[in-house]
Formats: sequence, C-alpha cells, structure tokens
Amino acid sequence: MAYFKLPLGVQDLLPDECYNLNVIKAKLTALFEGAGYRFVSTAILDYYDTYSDIRNKIPQEKMFKMTDVDGSLLVLRPDMTLSVCRMAAKLKEKRTKLAYFSNIWNARESGGISAREVLQGGVEMLGVSGAYADAEMIALAIECGMALGLQDFILDIGHVGFFKGILRESGLSSEETEEVRRFVNAKDIIGAQRIVGDSKAKEAILALPTLFGGVEVIDRAERLTDCEASLEALRHLREVYELLVRFGYEKYISIDLGTVKSLSYYSGVVFTGLSGVIGASVLSGGRYDALANEFGSDFPAVGFAVGLKRVLIALERQGDLVKAPAAECCVIAEPHCEAEAYAFCLSLRKKGKRAELFHGEREEAMRSGMQVYLVGKEGGRLL
Amino acid sequence: MITMALAKGRLAEESCNLLLKCGIPAQVIKSDTRKLVLSTEDGAFRFFLVKPTDVPTYVEYGIADLGIVGKDTLMERGADLYEMLDLGYEACKLCIAGYPERKDSLTNAHLRVATKYENIAKRLYAARGEDIEIIHLHGSIELAPVTGLSDVIFDVVQTGSTLRANGLVVLEEVYDVSARLVANKVSLKTKAAEIMPLIEAMRRQI
Repeated sequence: MAYFKLPLGVQDLLPDECYNLNVIKAKLTALFEGAGYRFVSTAILDYYDTYSDIRNKIPQEKMFKMTDVDGSLLVLRPDMTLSVCRMAAKLKEKRTKLAYFSNIWNARESGGISAREVLQGGVEMLGVSGAYADAEMIALAIECGMALGLQDFILDIGHVGFFKGILRESGLSSEETEEVRRFVNAKDIIGAQRIVGDSKAKEAILALPTLFGGVEVIDRAERLTDCEASLEALRHLREVYELLVRFGYEKYISIDLGTVKSLSYYSGVVFTGLSGVIGASVLSGGRYDALANEFGSDFPAVGFAVGLKRVLIALERQGDLVKAPAAECCVIAEPHCEAEAYAFCLSLRKKGKRAELFHGEREEAMRSGMQVYLVGKEGGRLL
Repeated sequence: MITMALAKGRLAEESCNLLLKCGIPAQVIKSDTRKLVLSTEDGAFRFFLVKPTDVPTYVEYGIADLGIVGKDTLMERGADLYEMLDLGYEACKLCIAGYPERKDSLTNAHLRVATKYENIAKRLYAARGEDIEIIHLHGSIELAPVTGLSDVIFDVVQTGSTLRANGLVVLEEVYDVSARLVANKVSLKTKAAEIMPLIEAMRRQI
C-alpha cells in the first residue's frame, strides 16, 4: 500500500490552481458581502442522524461514516444546505442572510463527473419568502455567473410544485413517485410510461420531460393540468420570471419544469446554472421552506451553491486561468547583514512588492528574472 | 457544431442511415479511415466512434453533446444524462437463461448468475429479494452454465440460436432494449437551437 497516494475521488490543489481558486473566492466574497450576506462555517463532523432521521434523508451509502468514542455514528458533512439549516435553527434572528465556502463529501465511489470532496461557495437567505425574494436570489446567481466570467452562462429555472401537484393527483405510491421523479429527471419518457400506466395525470407526467425552453413552456404547462397546486406553482414561476425580465436578466433565463432534483427538500423554485463549455451544472439551488422544521425551527429559506472546481474547469477551457505569481524581488544579504536585509525586505513588502529573502548563489538570483537587491550596512542597492 | 458519440459496429451503421434520412451528410461515419474524430464536410457535425459502454461516458462529461447507444448499456452504466428518443432499431431482450431444470447444490444456496451486466443484475435480483452471486464475464456468457461456472446467465438475446445449440433456454424475458438517443444535460440547453430541430427530425423518422 502506497500511503503517499490519495484515495479515489479527492485531489490536491497545486499553487497555480489554488491561486485561481482564491481569485474566484475573492470575487464571490465581494458579491456576497456586498449583498449583505455574512459568512459562517459549519462543523465538518456531524451526527449521522442529522441527515438520516429527517424526511428528506441523504441516502446512507452516500455518506462517509465514522464511529465516535461513545459509539455514536458520525458523518463528514454531506450537504451544505442541511448543515446551514441545522445551524441556523438555533439562531435567535429568524431573518438572516448567510454565506459559506465549504467542502461537502460524497462517499459514492463512481460519481461520473462528480468528485468525492466537493468545494462549494454558497448563500442561504433565511426567513423571507415570496416571488420577489426568489427573483432576488436567482438574480444573485446570475451575477455570480457574470462576475466569474463564465461564457454562455444560462440559468435554468423550474418549480417543484408543478411536479409535486401532478404526482399527488396521480394516485401513485411514494415509491412509484420517486421512480417517476428519476425518469423525469433523466427525460426518460419510456421509463416513466411504464410506471404511470393509465393514471389520471398520465398526459401531464409524460409531457414533463419536454417542458423546457422559453417562457412559452409555462403556457403549455398550464393547459396540461387543472390541479390547483400545480397551477399555483406556475403562477409563482411566472411572477419570478417577469421580475427577472424587469431586472434586465431575460437573456440569461431558460425554463425547465422537468428538472426535479434528487434533493427532495426543495419546495418551490429550483434553478441550475449552466456554462457553455462544461457539460455539468456549475451552480444549483432553490427554495426549501419546510426544511427548518426538521431541526426544530420554522422559517422559509432559499439559497444556492456554486461548484468551485467546475467553475475552475470552465474558466480553464475558456483560457481564463493565470499562473500563480511568485516573488518579484529578492534580497541578498552581505555577510553579517541579515537583519538589514530582513528590514529592507519588509520595506519592499510595505510598498506593495512581493519580496523574498534569497538563500542561494548570487548568479542564480540574477538569472531568476526577479529584481535583485544587495543589502549591506549602508543600505540596499539594485543589482 | 454538434458532437455525437456513436457505438461502433452495426449500431453506428444504422445510426448513419438514420442521420442521412434526416438530411445530415453523415456518410463520413461509414468511411474507412483510422481517424478518431470524423467531421461532416460543412463542419456542422463531429462524430466519435467508440465502444458502446463508452458512449454514455462521453455524453455525461459533455465531450459529446449527443450519443446513440443501446438501452442495455445505459441501464448498466447508470450515467447522468437525458434519454431523448427510443430509436427502435437494434431491438433485443435482456433475458435470464439457463437449463430448464436448475441442478440443486448443497454447498451453494445462492443462485450463481453469469453476466456482463453486473449492475442491472444486482438491481434486478435485489428488487426481488433474492440473494445471488454475480460472476462477471466479458463474452461467451453462454459457456458459463454449460461448464458449471454458473447456474444461469443474464444477457441480451437476439435470435437465441447460441442458447439452443447448447441446450439452454430462455427462462425469463426481463427487459426490452433498443437503441436510444441520449443528450448531455447542459448541451441540450446551451445548444438547444441546433439540437432540438435534429431531435425533431429524428423523431419523424422513427
């Protein structure tokens, strides 16, 4: 066993990648803090039950598990929205805006394009509901795409209420509903057909995979059902869409009512950020109004997370990543002048230069391309 | 430009015919060349010919926008992509086959299933609450029960002539499979203007 190697699905970030990661984190930090979000950090270790004793549980095979000294089962945080929601449930203020940069872990070995350690930057707006808040959150997601410089950025929006309403009327069992959800999410009409059979909502369910495109999708969907919950969801979605048009973001929006995510805690609008150069979403979020109940509190909430690694991959394909800059000046000490050299180096840094003490031969410094200073008792001079 | 991953062999030929019927100058697929990436003359389409099991991978990662591959391969891989159309050709059945009578074994209570569809078989028997032992093979699956390596096989059956020649019978037809058009989840949105008309044209041909 070679212990200096890494387990499957995790990666080191070398200097150049880390530098670019910090650049995009700085952009997102400015955006989030500018919009009034305050950063938090939740614990990496959590109780297994936090994620398995809730209605919308994380499948157990997806979680990295450990046993605590007292025998209780612990997991590596598998989801940030659940983690922030658990933390926020004990806050006194019920209306708050939180942001984070955090890893989540997914134990599944073969996740296709997904790694097992996923770095996310995200926001959660707690205590506010309504179309205006949803539109503001989606607008922030679009601003992220623009600030990060993602080409052909599209924000795909939908509403789980449409699907949930139709399914409730269909008379299918909860297992059948989950199977239909999987088929609809894969736009697999043939698969869905097998389960739906001759149920009342057949036509609407089988149309779901085709319900994507522009705003005309909402009109089409309205004609497919007379279920009040579904129609209400469509009215809400239209309101959000019209607000986004008024915000000036029309060209970034597409509609998809067939996006029914596996995280079933979503209760309202859901959205996904797509970049033209990478075949996977770079951002994902939605409204989850009932989730706080699971943690003994009660507040509506909406949020999203950006997959930072996928953003880096997209930016690299666009040719927009840079090398990590090294020091631009170095300081060589004359014999016994180490303290003077150190003070000189500090003064360079104070002027905003990236300066380092040099520890090799002088010729090597001259070849390095850096500005080289020689420092003696009388002060420093540029060589 | 649309990029398509196609399963090598007969499936690629049928796919080529379908694309030609849709008015796409796809004859380049049939050209005898060692090139790995084939482009149409107008540059509007690019094709990769890959092993069937690799088609979902190229599409899932977004290297190819679209792919054509058998439903059996899709079920086995479980890739995260959109399944847009049942193209109907290359139709066959995924079956459980073996000798008409299972030989009892004192030392092996589990049914031994030889297959190259390990994941589908696991899911199938798990859903039925049956304990099995999977024996993963890559070809000539029928040899397994004949030589005593397994009790049954789980495999695609087209004509069934190999089974009959070796005294085996189909015990159960489990799934109907055929060629499917699949799409990358992001490409479908970001290249909708190119991809949707093509899907519509293909739908009209089947």
